[in-house]
Amino acid sequence: MICLGIESTAHTFSCAIVQKNKKGGKILSDVRKIYRPPEGQGIHPREASRHHIENSSDVLLECLKKANLKISDIDIISYAAGPGLGPCLRVAGVIARTVSSYYKIPIYPVNHAIGHIELGKLLTGAKDPLVLLVSGGHTMLAALKQKKWRIFGETLDTTLGQLLDQFGRSLGFASPCGKKIEDLALESENYVSLPYVVKGNDVSFSGLLSAAKKISSNQKDACYSLQETAFAMIGEATERALSFTEKKELLIVGGVSANKRLSEILKKICQRQKCKFFVSPIEYAGDCGSQIAWTGLLEATAKKGAKLDETFVRQSWRLDTVEIDY
Amino acid sequence: MRLLKKGAEGDIFLTKHENALAILKTRKKKQYRNQILDDRIRKSRTIRESTILSEAKEFGIRTPLVYQVNHNDCTILMQHIKGVVVRDLTGSKLVFACKEIGKITGTLHKNGIMHGDLTTSNFILSNGKVYTIDFGLSQRTAKIEDHAVDLRLFKEILNSAHVNVMKSLWSSFLQGYRSAVGHSRYNQILNHVSIIEGRGRYAQVV
Repeated sequence: MICLGIESTAHTFSCAIVQKNKKGGKILSDVRKIYRPPEGQGIHPREASRHHIENSSDVLLECLKKANLKISDIDIISYAAGPGLGPCLRVAGVIARTVSSYYKIPIYPVNHAIGHIELGKLLTGAKDPLVLLVSGGHTMLAALKQKKWRIFGETLDTTLGQLLDQFGRSLGFASPCGKKIEDLALESENYVSLPYVVKGNDVSFSGLLSAAKKISSNQKDACYSLQETAFAMIGEATERALSFTEKKELLIVGGVSANKRLSEILKKICQRQKCKFFVSPIEYAGDCGSQIAWTGLLEATAKKGAKLDETFVRQSWRLDTVEIDY
Repeated sequence: MRLLKKGAEGDIFLTKHENALAILKTRKKKQYRNQILDDRIRKSRTIRESTILSEAKEFGIRTPLVYQVNHNDCTILMQHIKGVVVRDLTGSKLVFACKEIGKITGTLHKNGIMHGDLTTSNFILSNGKVYTIDFGLSQRTAKIEDHAVDLRLFKEILNSAHVNVMKSLWSSFLQGYRSAVGHSRYNQILNHVSIIEGRGRYAQVV
């Protein structure tokens, strides 16, 4: 079975084609165009959605071309129906509905967070992991239990991605700022004390962000101290969730999983807790169509396509409300 | 000395103190953490946990006796409580334990302490009595927000670890909690729990 997946929840517009066979799945193509806001600024939802619309046909055509397929070869279509920015989400929704109704292809709305998790599982081979999803939209620890991804810890306010981006932007960096902060942090070992807030299995970053901005006169020290504090908090929350759930695998997915220092910390935690460590490959860590296509294929094993009047987009759509039937 | 559990914060050993079984809770250095930050966290938590373990007894909460505290190694030697961790209970015992945890939480709050790590694995049912065994994240605070965070965490844990029976466990917890803090404080805190939940990522607020 072949699925076309469309992703446009935030800054990335992506189309991908994934094939599912008995053994697993294979990505045939994955094409992306990313909206870049001006330096020091965040995503402007209207501008981002304009970018997505303008690039949509090129990306879709290129994705078919790279997979060496025609639209008539596609068995099902899936799109990221949420959570995300409303104007951006609607782009994938409109394209998916259009192609689906014109070519009579079954359509599947897919949860973006589950897309991250399922593709991570496919590409790493993790079977029953505790998942740490760290991105601009999410910071949560989840594990599958009785047909739902249950949350075993999450941020109570901003996400890890937002923390890094908002701090970086306050220094005038271009979003996403993670890489730049990671590079600057490597140049310092001078730890400046910052607030460390772990509440049970949950974390809170808002106070840390304000405090980090106050010490930003030395950028290197500030970046180092911010990373050390925030990642140690995530590390502790992860360790608590691992110890509570007694899972033997940890899978890390989402844009921030590209950060080497974060991986290093989590790897050491896994050694201590005697559990296997999986991290999604860097090219599929951020948002992409493959995540959506693969989840669509999994959904299709348990469900028929959605009726056109049920193909909404939902800005607020929590991971733990989705029933997993496959 | 025998390793009982590799916890999230440190290791728990079963050992002896003056011929009685005892628990040694260690907070080892964490290599992955910046050392200044690591020292700060381990030391402050050891001190806080050991004082609150003793202080909580003053208002009738069952906790292990503290035998020895070492601020440099960050270890606490305490009484061994024989029993079953509430997380592993089922049926009416689990319901009873949740009501007791509610009462304990309420009593702590009334006395200006938040537990900070309210999960079913931090309580032990021993001879029909519930003991609170872990105060590592406890804080002295009378703020509504902090108390509500305790309740929200417990609800989250019930929702994820005890899915099937979540509703009855939550209502017995609340029953116990209300009996300790009184009607008006109860409503105030419960209202604040919904406020915190509304702040959650992608929560349905409208």
